[in-house]
Amino acid sequence: MYQFVTGPLAWLAFGVFFIGLIVRTVLYIKGLNWKMDRVTYGVNTKYGVKGAFRSVISWILPFGTHGWRSHPVFTVITFVFHLSLLISAIFLPAHNYILKQKWGVSLITIPEAVGDIMAIAVMIAVVLFIIRRIALTEVRIITTAYDYLILLIAVAPFVTGFIAYHQFFDYELWVILHILSGELMLIAIPFTKLSHFVLFFLSRIQIGMDFGIKRGGMKNSGFVW
Amino acid sequence: MAEGKLCNRKPINTEEELKELMADRGGRKYYEEMESLDVDQDALWSSIRKTFLSRLKTWIEICARCGMCADSCFFYLANDKDPTQVPSYKIQSTLGEIVRKKGKVDNEFMRMTMDTAWSKCTCCNRCAIYCPFGIDMGVMFSYVRGLCFSQGFVPWEMKIGSGMHRVYRAQMDVTTEDWVDTVEFEEEGIEDEYPGMKIPVDKENADILYTLNAREAKHYPEDISEAAILFNLAGENWTVPSEGWEETSLTMFAGDWEGCKMQVENVYDAMDRLKPKRMVVTECGHAYRATILEGPYWAGLKSGKTPIESIHYVEWVAEVLRSGKLKIDPSKKIKEPVTLQDSCNYIRNGGLREVTREIMSYLAEDFREMTPCKDHNFCCGGGGGLNGIGRYHKQRNAGLKVKRDQILATGAKFVIAPCHNCWDAIRDMEGIYKIGIKWSFLKPLLLDMAIIPDHFKPEEE
Amino acid sequence: MFKNILFATTVSPDCDDAASYAFDMAMKYNAKLYIYHVFGLPSHGYSRFVINVKTGEKETYSKEYDTLVKEEIADTYSELIDQYSNCEIDCTIGAPGTEILRKIKKEKIDAVIMGAHHQVEDAEAIRYRNVTGDTMQRVAKSAPCPVLIISRPFTKNLWNLRNILCGTDFSKASLAAFRFALKFAKVNKSKLHLFHAVDITGRQFGKVPTQSEIEELVNQARNRMEEIYLPEMDGYMKIETAVWEGIPYVEILKYAREQDIDLIAMAHHTGSIFHKKDILGSTIEEVVLRSLCPVASINRMNVLENYEGFLA
Repeated sequence: MYQFVTGPLAWLAFGVFFIGLIVRTVLYIKGLNWKMDRVTYGVNTKYGVKGAFRSVISWILPFGTHGWRSHPVFTVITFVFHLSLLISAIFLPAHNYILKQKWGVSLITIPEAVGDIMAIAVMIAVVLFIIRRIALTEVRIITTAYDYLILLIAVAPFVTGFIAYHQFFDYELWVILHILSGELMLIAIPFTKLSHFVLFFLSRIQIGMDFGIKRGGMKNSGFVW
Repeated sequence: MAEGKLCNRKPINTEEELKELMADRGGRKYYEEMESLDVDQDALWSSIRKTFLSRLKTWIEICARCGMCADSCFFYLANDKDPTQVPSYKIQSTLGEIVRKKGKVDNEFMRMTMDTAWSKCTCCNRCAIYCPFGIDMGVMFSYVRGLCFSQGFVPWEMKIGSGMHRVYRAQMDVTTEDWVDTVEFEEEGIEDEYPGMKIPVDKENADILYTLNAREAKHYPEDISEAAILFNLAGENWTVPSEGWEETSLTMFAGDWEGCKMQVENVYDAMDRLKPKRMVVTECGHAYRATILEGPYWAGLKSGKTPIESIHYVEWVAEVLRSGKLKIDPSKKIKEPVTLQDSCNYIRNGGLREVTREIMSYLAEDFREMTPCKDHNFCCGGGGGLNGIGRYHKQRNAGLKVKRDQILATGAKFVIAPCHNCWDAIRDMEGIYKIGIKWSFLKPLLLDMAIIPDHFKPEEE
Repeated sequence: MFKNILFATTVSPDCDDAASYAFDMAMKYNAKLYIYHVFGLPSHGYSRFVINVKTGEKETYSKEYDTLVKEEIADTYSELIDQYSNCEIDCTIGAPGTEILRKIKKEKIDAVIMGAHHQVEDAEAIRYRNVTGDTMQRVAKSAPCPVLIISRPFTKNLWNLRNILCGTDFSKASLAAFRFALKFAKVNKSKLHLFHAVDITGRQFGKVPTQSEIEELVNQARNRMEEIYLPEMDGYMKIETAVWEGIPYVEILKYAREQDIDLIAMAHHTGSIFHKKDILGSTIEEVVLRSLCPVASINRMNVLENYEGFLA
């Protein structure tokens, strides 16, 4: 079983993940239309690139925008969540051990304790996200079951991984569940809202180009996000 | 498929149809007919399939429902944080549903969509800059308005507005003769005051082609005089076109994209005909956006720019004050505290925050910024056509509260509003909430402060 | 002398005195009388709603409403119309000043009668159009014909014009007012009083002027009066000149009372319609509101040039 989930299934998951994201990117770009979007992507592109750059950089910096600054608590949770999720997924020693075993490559790693803390952080963040979805009327009204499902998909690998790592229950079982849930997330990314893994950047680049080219980027020192 | 006599899917193209629609007092019959207007679901879906491309598709799909857009919206704030005013909710419950249902929506749904698109969103695009994904709900509501228009679900005044542009190429029934007459009349007036001042019509190869808002021609022609005097004082070689002088676009507010194209092409034709170096447009926000920012796309100009360079009135003012072509008497600078209303359409969406500050530095001694301001300023409350739609006066008036509080917080009792819609909204705000403020366009202020060169001074006998 | 007279009314009691004056005048000159009412201020450029001038309420504009308003006007002035039927009722929506000026041009109007009804349209919408204070000011400033403003009931026989006063500040616009007053005096065989008031308020001097300064100014004014107006008088003998000092509008009113003046002619000269109240602008406004006789505002030279009535 372990062999299967770390072997063919892992190949499948990563395959779907990478190919899926490439397809989404290609489709997104192909679907851009200068006339319908009312942005001349191909003319004055220099301004567009500048606008895109500002747009992405401002938003990936914590507190880099008016938006982030006006929601400080949410901003902290969001950044802790995303950074913990990405860093622990990529740089956890255990993950790199498997990488090395299977494909002979390995990245730098973080200490296990840090990984542990990050897993806890992700879980806490998800709990806070859920509380926020229920507590705040402006979020509750737009929340659907789908949004909880997405949170569940995202947190599942951390819950299972945490249990397995600390061997609270049957290690063998929980490690397999952990791997399965991780693979589920990889597969889900291209097909669900988790596609914002790449679409965040594409969408931000697009709106950045819009503001950079058409909406004033050629008239001032750049949009203040 | 049932369509009304007044309320139907056909745009207005003749004067008769327009007059008939206008004769319906307050749109009573029109809205009554709307209740039994059938939705052409096939046409709706086929139009979505053609136009709902990756940008919009992605926006609808990836919205994380995080609610960060909520307090970016002045309607949400003005309505005591009513969750149904959250931008994401507004767009997902309208456009989102239409897409998810593949266009299979009924009459009641379309009417709800219309009410949402025109009374709960002014397309100010402020939410777009608070969404981490850059989802621009203003752009989407503009798209929704287009869908509504094509299905005949459009507020009465907007249908009339679109018809006006189609029939007269102006937002009001001002014909070419009316316009030229008005210009001549105003010219007489200013010549009396300032010997030798002219309003040149259809002069070729001028440096500046001036275009404006039809209400200036229709109701407030003194605005034309003011502009004329200022151009003359600054020694500009300028002209107004006899055709293609209307810069506004109610067709844009209405979602009538075909009408939008007709309107801007009329202006672009004037550019081709008269070959001016640049176009200057009056103190109007949506008009700048329509004719200069969006217009080239409607007209299919691949450069994304108007045929000749076009600038907003504030850019021209900053330029002549900077260069000294127009001189201000320093003793006449505004001494009382004064604030500035940033028009969404040319500040946030047109990048002119810096030139407007430059102007204020020349004119005001005690300039106070609103909070927030510049790119992040709130809509006045009357944008997107909302000011003029009788059906939504209540919603409009409620929305004005945010701007009212912003103005009060500055401590200034004087608001400079270089935009027709903002100007109207602020005037109405004073009428409703009586906070004791005054407001003005830039032109009358500049005229008060300008130093008149000797050769324009009237000869005394 | 007058062929087409425009009576611009708000159809409110404010204009009743102006109404009787207008009908009287039309009768006297056998002129066509246009009764014109701008009943709605556009609330927004493209809105179909207008602010009713009388009630300050929002109304929806339509053709039927238009008819209704015309009927109301006819009703209000029915007694007068019964006496003189050569009149035409019309109404419209828009900024009153602008629309009245347009009507003047369209119908080749050679005299306008208005009530001093400025407070009414300050109501809702136009209240702060910074540019033009009110309709009266805008019309008086730009009309190419004399504008008679009637603010109070006049008890004496209006058409026995024995004394006409022309207030001057020596401006070009004042010259137009003088020419009109002279013409009118000749036609009516009235005595023409040419009057100037030296403004001795602090605003002119920046300080309280000394007596010799005042006398100096009075003398200067006398000289200028002769210089400018003597060649214009064209041999007409029934002219009296006077230069007084004080607050201009008070002096004009005092003089008018003392000399039993029947009509005051002045320029509505404010430097610029865009500038807020300049001295003479406010002078005529004060005069209009307080005068016991009609006040004619004449501002443009072409008052005399464009209309056949004046050439005759």
